[in-house]
Amino acid sequence: MWQVYLKELTELMRDRKTLIFVILLPIFIFPVIFGVMGLVLSSTTAKAMQEQHKYVIVNGDQAPEFAEALFYHKNFKRVESTLTAPEELIAAIRAGEFAVAVVIPDDFQAKQSAVEQSQWQLIYNQSSQLDFMSRYFNELLENYTGQLQRQSLSALGVDPVKLTAILKPVSVQKVDTADKRENIGEKFGALIAYILIPLCLLGASYPAIDMGAGEKERGTLETLLICPVSRSAIVLGKFLTVLTTGLAGALITVASFGIWGAVIGSFAGFAVVQEAMGAIATVELLLIFLMIVPTSAIFASLLLAISIYAKTFKEAQNYMSPLSILMFVPLAAAMMPGVELTTKTAMIPVMNVALAIKELIKGTADGSMIALIFGATVALAAALIAFCVHWFQQEKVLFR
Amino acid sequence: MIEIKNLAKAFALGKGSKLSDTEKQDVRYADKEFRSVRDVSFHCGQGEVLGLLGPNGAGKTTTLRMLSTALKPDAGSVLINGVDVLREPVKARKQIGFLSADTGLYGKLSAYENIAYFGRLHGMKEAALKQRIDELFTMLNMHDFASRRADNMSTGMKQKTAIARAVVHSPKVVILDEPTTGLDIMTVQTVLDFIKGLKQVGTPVIFSTHHLDEVASLCDRVVVIDKGISAFSGDLAEFKALAPTGDLRDAFLAVLKQQSNEQGAA
Repeated sequence: MWQVYLKELTELMRDRKTLIFVILLPIFIFPVIFGVMGLVLSSTTAKAMQEQHKYVIVNGDQAPEFAEALFYHKNFKRVESTLTAPEELIAAIRAGEFAVAVVIPDDFQAKQSAVEQSQWQLIYNQSSQLDFMSRYFNELLENYTGQLQRQSLSALGVDPVKLTAILKPVSVQKVDTADKRENIGEKFGALIAYILIPLCLLGASYPAIDMGAGEKERGTLETLLICPVSRSAIVLGKFLTVLTTGLAGALITVASFGIWGAVIGSFAGFAVVQEAMGAIATVELLLIFLMIVPTSAIFASLLLAISIYAKTFKEAQNYMSPLSILMFVPLAAAMMPGVELTTKTAMIPVMNVALAIKELIKGTADGSMIALIFGATVALAAALIAFCVHWFQQEKVLFR
Repeated sequence: MIEIKNLAKAFALGKGSKLSDTEKQDVRYADKEFRSVRDVSFHCGQGEVLGLLGPNGAGKTTTLRMLSTALKPDAGSVLINGVDVLREPVKARKQIGFLSADTGLYGKLSAYENIAYFGRLHGMKEAALKQRIDELFTMLNMHDFASRRADNMSTGMKQKTAIARAVVHSPKVVILDEPTTGLDIMTVQTVLDFIKGLKQVGTPVIFSTHHLDEVASLCDRVVVIDKGISAFSGDLAEFKALAPTGDLRDAFLAVLKQQSNEQGAA
């Protein structure tokens, strides 16, 4: 068994593809991807926040204070237009002449004096993801309606001192009981599992293909089978190699995240990250690793079983893509808001580990629950390894 | 000494597999299985070279795979120097060296490492292994590329490495499945020289082939397999005697014809 393990490992170490997938990818490419993503996101947000929206106002004289406030807002730029009908305005917005149209009814002031509600129209393209425009507009409108409310109420003879209490009878002050770490853990804990678990699969999949289907394709399988070594020993040797690379990939990723997290955290403005990372104790990191081991074993045995069955490299790759998609289902489920760790979710493979990692990062993990998940995962991994060994004894699998 | 008696092996057919008309006529298709090998018997003595002949799909590879313990036969027995291959496969494997034309090497490992890996799997001790590999390198003239990776070798170098790998554990019998198919002339010569070398030291060799000239120049015994049955088993002289001209090709065709006549009668 160890002979097989050692030889497979030497072979893998000399393979550039494995090195890239297992070591280089997690070390460099992930921080780069996240960095680029963050940069793009923040710059587009900043751009969207600074953008000037061209607007047309119809019957602006009915609400002069509002029209003035809009005119002087740095994100709005007035455009002259003779159009008044909504259909014409919509067509003009579609044509790109301006971005937004505010239509104030021409009887607004009359209705206002009679203390009646009136309806304004805001015409714009609402499909943008970063809808800062409507946020600015609502702020302006809120100010304006506040003014109007005060005016109307004063006109009705209400004591100006009590106005604030009348307009907003209840003011709520939110007090958060969750400490910072729990808050961050809830938000990012699932994300870390979402990155960590697929990496175990990614790191293991290339070597797994090479060791099963690759061996068939190269024509070395037959000679290996007739060596005076039991087939269980061969499978276990191969399994351990796949497991090692999967774990190595995951470990390097965690380390790279930790180091990059510390590096990025040391820059200004990321003190929160640093604080959260600092709160995670070594014990919890070890527990996370402990959860990852049987999960990697599950992946390793699944991948190896597929790879042994496949006749060629290509065939194995074809079978593996649905597997990786399937794995994302429980992961995504664990990320959904409101999904909590219960005895039921603790029995769903992959999802349970993702939830456990989240709890561990939050610092609210329940020891017996973690033990339960660990037990369930180990049991599943053992069953799959047994299947893999059995699978490797089947002539119809080996000589297809 | 190798003795094979009434070997048989059937493969289950998949539900989806449809048989062509010619396949349906093949007597080996029955119900839900394909009886690849039905009744093969032959023996090969010390220092003898046995040539296994037969049309494509006759069951040669399956027979050799059963011999080499890669497949388990459904019926029959295989004895190698008195060791029952079926009862003690691990013990039998230590005595077998196996090679076929499409046997590959691990591309990332050097010639030495490829050979050493199999030596270790055969349970050889490091010192003995080193000595044996050195011996083989000298014998096959391989010292020049001992530490070159298999990916960067020529076909001839690869085949030499594969040969060395097959005999690193000094097997008591060597089984070769079409060892010369698809190889260039120089490489074929390497393989044939290797078989001759084995014959000289008294190691029995069983090899399947389509090349009758190889049979003529190397073999002591000939076995013809057709449709999963050993239709002929005897020494080279007996085989030649089957054709009035003494030509091997005619003799081979005569065996096949006789076989199909028997089938028709039955």
